Amino acid sequence: MTIGLSTYLIYLALSIALTIWVGRTLHKNGRVFLVDVFHGNEALADSVNHLLVVGFYLINFGYVSLALKLGYTIETAEQSVEALSVKIGMVLLVLGGMHLFNLFVFSRMRRRATAHHQPPVGPDAFTPVQQEAA
Amino acid sequence: MLSLTVLYDPECGLCRRAHEWLNDQLKLVELNFVACASDEARKRYPQLNHDLTKQDLTVITEDGWVYFGPKAWLMVLWALTRYRDWSYRLAAPELLPTTKRVVSVISQNRYQISRAAGLSR
Repeated sequence: MTIGLSTYLIYLALSIALTIWVGRTLHKNGRVFLVDVFHGNEALADSVNHLLVVGFYLINFGYVSLALKLGYTIETAEQSVEALSVKIGMVLLVLGGMHLFNLFVFSRMRRRATAHHQPPVGPDAFTPVQQEAA
Repeated sequence: MLSLTVLYDPECGLCRRAHEWLNDQLKLVELNFVACASDEARKRYPQLNHDLTKQDLTVITEDGWVYFGPKAWLMVLWALTRYRDWSYRLAAPELLPTTKRVVSVISQNRYQISRAAGLSR
């Protein structure tokens, strides 16, 4: 096995492991948020949680796959480590960005679900109401 | 708060048109329409200044809290599923003065606007 091929394989193994780790973290900890957003409707929360994680995996694996190609040949172990650090670094940044975006989506959903029950403005006055029966 | 009573002006075409439009909208809060200064309005709110309700839209909650003019318009928006977000946006401190100005101009000129738009009786 050439050093170039091993670099690719190490890159793939590390990227996939990292993506799965972040995805599982999101899946595990995002659930509590979503259950709260959907007012305790656990089935709906689980469903949305699952769909979000699927999207997360698709985007990340898509990026990992697109970013695989190095464009130059690797001859030494040093070059391999350097190439790996750049590639894995990019994957980590994309994962971080996706993770923050997910958090943003969760918190936004939560805010929308909880905040908007109060009227936008305060009343001007008060008047007694005569009930129909009276 | 489960329902809001809207005291509207049945003499104004624009208001009747708005009333029809509101009936078709999805609501988060029920809206009951009562003609302003009508017998029904006087019976339900014996202590309210009914001459004032003829000047501008009035919204009253079940508990008796009164919203008048621009605030009443914001409350009506707030009751609608699609426009609740907008009620907060328009009520934000940066936009509220403009909202009030625009709403007041429309309210004060509602008969002229109705006539110009061909909505008069």
